[in-house]
Amino acid sequence: MKTLVLGIGNPILSDDGVGIRVAQGVGKELNDPQITVSETSAAGLSLLDSIIGYDEVIIIDAIQTQKGKAGQIYRMGPGDFSFAKHISSPHQINLVTALELGKVLDLAMPQKITIFAVEAKDITNFGEICTPEVERAIPEAVKMVLEELKFQTSP
Amino acid sequence: MKKIMIDPVTRLEGHGKIAIFLNDDGGVANVYFQVPELRGFEKFSEGRPAEDMPQITQRICGVCPEAHHMASTKTLDALFHVEPTSAAKKLRELLYSAFYVTDHTTHFYILAGPDFVMGPDAPPAERNILGVIAKVGLELGGAVIKTRHDNHWVIQTIGGRPIHPCFGLPGGVSKAINEEERAKIEEIAKSSVEFGKLSLKVFDDVVLKNKDYLDMVLSDTFTHRTYSMGLVDENNKVNFYDGKVRVVDPEGKEFIKYAPRDYVEHLAEHVEPWTYLKFPYLKKVGWKGFVDGKDSGVYRATPLSRLNAADGMATPLAQEEYERMYSTLGGKPAHYTLATHWARLVEIVYAAERMLELVQDPEITSTDIRNIPKATPDEGVGIVEAPRGTLTHHYITDERGVIKKCNLIVGTTNNYAAFYMSVKKAAEDLIKPGKEITEGLLNRIEMAWRPYDLCLACATHSLPGQMPLEVTIYDAQGNELKKLSQGI
Repeated sequence: MKTLVLGIGNPILSDDGVGIRVAQGVGKELNDPQITVSETSAAGLSLLDSIIGYDEVIIIDAIQTQKGKAGQIYRMGPGDFSFAKHISSPHQINLVTALELGKVLDLAMPQKITIFAVEAKDITNFGEICTPEVERAIPEAVKMVLEELKFQTSP
Repeated sequence: MKKIMIDPVTRLEGHGKIAIFLNDDGGVANVYFQVPELRGFEKFSEGRPAEDMPQITQRICGVCPEAHHMASTKTLDALFHVEPTSAAKKLRELLYSAFYVTDHTTHFYILAGPDFVMGPDAPPAERNILGVIAKVGLELGGAVIKTRHDNHWVIQTIGGRPIHPCFGLPGGVSKAINEEERAKIEEIAKSSVEFGKLSLKVFDDVVLKNKDYLDMVLSDTFTHRTYSMGLVDENNKVNFYDGKVRVVDPEGKEFIKYAPRDYVEHLAEHVEPWTYLKFPYLKKVGWKGFVDGKDSGVYRATPLSRLNAADGMATPLAQEEYERMYSTLGGKPAHYTLATHWARLVEIVYAAERMLELVQDPEITSTDIRNIPKATPDEGVGIVEAPRGTLTHHYITDERGVIKKCNLIVGTTNNYAAFYMSVKKAAEDLIKPGKEITEGLLNRIEMAWRPYDLCLACATHSLPGQMPLEVTIYDAQGNELKKLSQGI
């Protein structure tokens, strides 16, 4: 079974780089030929290109919700995005649409997609490190992803 | 009347806002807009080696990183006073042409297509790529994915990495291509030409043969007579990669033509109290307000503007389509904002034909791909046409080539004034006293801004640069009447 861990984000836009930072952290801890760890700053349809051909995908990204606290970590499936009005993310509709598009076009879509999202504070100022609350969340998010992988790969 | 303060300094939640205020009889009194802008890039780049800028600036935008990479690379040529080799220029333009095919294809089918294929009265849940594919067929959907996929492979092969090329250097590029790669790129170029022709046929069948749509395209509501800007080659033909910036007046007469290093002489910025956005305008005409016409310094830099500013397309099929477009639109220049979508399709054909020309050039596999700079760096300007408009990079460095100052004018910024005018006019024409504000009506207002495809890097991961945007309509007492949003 092929698994992809994909960190999404912009590494020079402060908290928007958290997905990539977490993926890098996960990659350091793994040594499994069946698990690929990757990063992308790509848009919705290009996400589709990245996930085709994998059985399971874990996506890690930044998110901004109306009531969330910076550094909070959420675990979601694609179904959590569809009509969740309390979540405000430029990514949500695009990911869902990209996934549906893959299905419609009969592409080799993953059977299972899990999303870990970290609540971001600042995604409009350029910077190569995250804000302190988000920086502190990175090791925790790495742990959560590794737990998820253990759960997925255990018999 | 309840007063609503529009505080331009208020931090936005990462999406743009348009506020439409109605007067007592239900007509439009005023329109304001605010879009989030990214802050601190100049400070972020200070102290960095200029050679890093093609890598850094391409991270600004998740949608058109290739455009920033290319503008930055050309800025390095100017900064280090070095001319790239002939083969290097061709490789750069080859990559850039493949990029245009992918970017314009994505924009048309994801953003514009739904408006026309599904229609402005279709429910939002259907007005997306899935609705388009359901209507035009799976085969076309597959062709869209394949064209993007194949051209992304071209970009990766020439540029060295998917999406974020790492090949631009002052004086050239970092890698050549071999014959096997060249042959595959040639096949992809040929099928991209066919795909471009197919897309124009879709536009024909769905838009031009539909009288309601054609009327909308040609209507006054979606028309603004402004100056048009675009890069042209030495024959005044559209070129995305290199040339001089040409601006024509609303009647099509050449107004200015400048080399990149002279841009500061021609562009200035206007400031409004209700927004921290700045509105570029033509210095030599002056700022006369958000108005059309020859006496107003407002200009547009969009695919349609590029075609207006040029005397034609440099490749045969694209030239045919260019002529057909203008003949249908009643002449040149064309000021119909919705025709921007058509211009994008003509540009796909040009980009694909240009790809084919370049990949068949015997020099394209040359290994003479770099001239090493010898001069001391000081200052440089590089300009390319980003899909969304003329993109300018300007760096000032110390004698080691370390950035002291940088200024970027991104494609979208050129169009802020025109965008505002388009939204305002559409709102004023469509929202009338006594007329119910329906979803369809709001969609039509959306159609006024969609051709500009406002791309802000905060929408880094959104589908083709679609900025999250919220439109709120307030009654004369300042109460919120209706809200529309995209990408939120």
